[in-house]
Amino acid sequence: MFGALYAAEGTSIDVLIDVAAEFSPRYEINGPRDVTLDLSGLARLFGSAHAIATELQRTAAERGLDIAVAIAGTQTAARLLAARAFTAREMADRDRLRQGYGGPPKLHAKAEGPPRNVIVVDPEGEADALAPLPLSLLADSNELATFRKWGLRTLGDVAALPPDAVAARLGQEGVRWQRLARGEDPRPLLPAVPDERFEQALDLEWPIDGLEPLSFVLGRLLEPLAAHLDRRGRGAAVLHIRLHLVTRAVHERALQLPAPMKDARTLRTLALLDLESHPPAAAIDRVVVAVDPTPARVLQFSLLTRPLPSPEQLSTLMARLSALMGEERCGSPVAVDSWEPGKFAMQPFTPRDVNVIHSHGPRRHGSTETNFSDLRVSVSPWPVGANSVSVALRRFRIPVPARVRMEQGRPIRVITDRRGLAGGLGTGGVTRCAGPWRTAGNWWTEGTWERDEWDVTLSDGATYRVFRDRGTDAWFLEGVVD
Amino acid sequence: MPHPAVAVLESALRVRKLDRTLTTTLQPGKGEGLVAPTDAAALDALLNGGLPRGELSEIAGPRSSGRTTLLLQVIAAATRRGEIAAIVDTFDRLDLASVVAAGIDPDRLLWIRGEASSPADRALERALKALNLVLQSGGFGVAAIDLADAPPAALNRLPFTTWMRVQRTIEGSETACLLVGPHPLARSAGGLTISLAAGSRWAGHADRSRRLAGLDVTVRVVSPRRRVEGEATLGAQVQYSGG
Repeated sequence: MFGALYAAEGTSIDVLIDVAAEFSPRYEINGPRDVTLDLSGLARLFGSAHAIATELQRTAAERGLDIAVAIAGTQTAARLLAARAFTAREMADRDRLRQGYGGPPKLHAKAEGPPRNVIVVDPEGEADALAPLPLSLLADSNELATFRKWGLRTLGDVAALPPDAVAARLGQEGVRWQRLARGEDPRPLLPAVPDERFEQALDLEWPIDGLEPLSFVLGRLLEPLAAHLDRRGRGAAVLHIRLHLVTRAVHERALQLPAPMKDARTLRTLALLDLESHPPAAAIDRVVVAVDPTPARVLQFSLLTRPLPSPEQLSTLMARLSALMGEERCGSPVAVDSWEPGKFAMQPFTPRDVNVIHSHGPRRHGSTETNFSDLRVSVSPWPVGANSVSVALRRFRIPVPARVRMEQGRPIRVITDRRGLAGGLGTGGVTRCAGPWRTAGNWWTEGTWERDEWDVTLSDGATYRVFRDRGTDAWFLEGVVD
Repeated sequence: MPHPAVAVLESALRVRKLDRTLTTTLQPGKGEGLVAPTDAAALDALLNGGLPRGELSEIAGPRSSGRTTLLLQVIAAATRRGEIAAIVDTFDRLDLASVVAAGIDPDRLLWIRGEASSPADRALERALKALNLVLQSGGFGVAAIDLADAPPAALNRLPFTTWMRVQRTIEGSETACLLVGPHPLARSAGGLTISLAAGSRWAGHADRSRRLAGLDVTVRVVSPRRRVEGEATLGAQVQYSGG
């Protein structure tokens, strides 16, 4: 036995869900004003189906809801009847207002005088109850348009058609619509799962100061949280830590995790490393840990290639490296849209394993579709196995000031003040040179650069790239060809 | 003495060829899986397939000897195989244009940048800690530390046990650890020491038409315990691009 609740437009779905949840844990949300619930077994508590419907109506009214209730043997019949009851009442109310007539609304209700907007259909009577309802109650589709062209106006008209003839003309879709018109369910009820809070809190008897005692507290909170996530097949997408301090201030941190995680040790390490960089200002007397859940990862590794480190390992590594070297100093290099020599940016290190299938749900087997944009094969522009490679430059991130002596427009000596570098504390005679290679850019903005580059081999045997800034006429060492 | 029933079972399995697993069936290739190839034919031939995994190898040579070129070549080969690589850039010398020109997939490269302005001892200490973290994390095909610009005095102050510790950390792992320095430092018992020397190659005779064409790198492998010894020549070209 199923019940359907249909509410007025603008009704809060949360209140409607509350009403449904009071009667049954198995309810399905069909739309913003339409909820179906499984009422099996409630007759022992309330008595008849009619009593259940009345109680539902009363509970909704207590919460300020104006709803129609229908109870039938199938979800489809209950939903259609509830929707019809509500719209019929709305039309009747409009007519009364227009004509000043206060007669009863025309509802297909039971004869024994149920309250307004309450419909109860006897078992096996769904098709008969639905028969007079208009076809417009079903969602619009090509098949329904065809039914209308055939002159069918009610659900009963559609239900009465021979199914094999409908299948021959409209295929399985037509048969599906016909079953709906008869009040048959296309699938079982899919109960809604209420949102779960993944949060743990601990009030401390004595305030704690420092990260070491906090690590034990975090471990105690994160272990049940991780177990809860594991039970629900979820992973943490964001880890929230709220530390209530003795100064009544709240120290909050939110860690965006690169992949869903549920390992308590990893989460604790990440939280501690973050708090090391951003410590609380005072002692802590309450610790709250919460996570934003997300579907857990499903991974299929390859037998043929080496697996990449897990996201937990990588996150921990990156957090430790960031704490050691600085956040902006660890990651993958990425080119920026500029011709300025040495320009680059850093991005988080998140290597993608081309052999691992990431899935957040079941995948259809036997699919032959191939999305070619998803296939990335690393192809080198240079032949593998060739005995020739590209020369690298060791770049001075801050160019080293140099003094360059020119003769006949070419550098003959390069001297720097830096110990150990070319010409440093010694002679820097140029043995070979090539240039100048003139480059310029950003002349349309403030960050303009214009320079003449030279490749020079000095008497120490090393080859350097030097340049003259044409704006300031100063010379610099840009890097070493190595 | 095994139980007779066990012996019978084992012989039955042998008859049906069920006494082997996938890993025992696959014959390891000649050095394959144990080395990280550099994808430079002459060098791989010289190194018996590539740099040994689970060992600390080093590239040593003076300035402009092709140390960085060879390092990037090793990393490029690793990323082409789908592995990930890490480089601890002690003095922040890596050039992105060179990385891309070498054929490295930047998404697979973890670049840990030291600070060039910090004192050498402090920079070395942090770089070594970062390398240890990377090696302990595992999963990297190649992990390198660049000490090429470290002052000799600072390198000499490093305890000799530093490199033994690194060696112990990666023993048995599939990471090829690479140390780039001005001269041999680690003297690892298991890894290779690659000594480099190079001369710059110029194209064009006239002053105005001359350009740097590349480096002619002579690679000498010094590793008597691994029975790998010899020389090879590697040509490195300068990639010029127009804009």
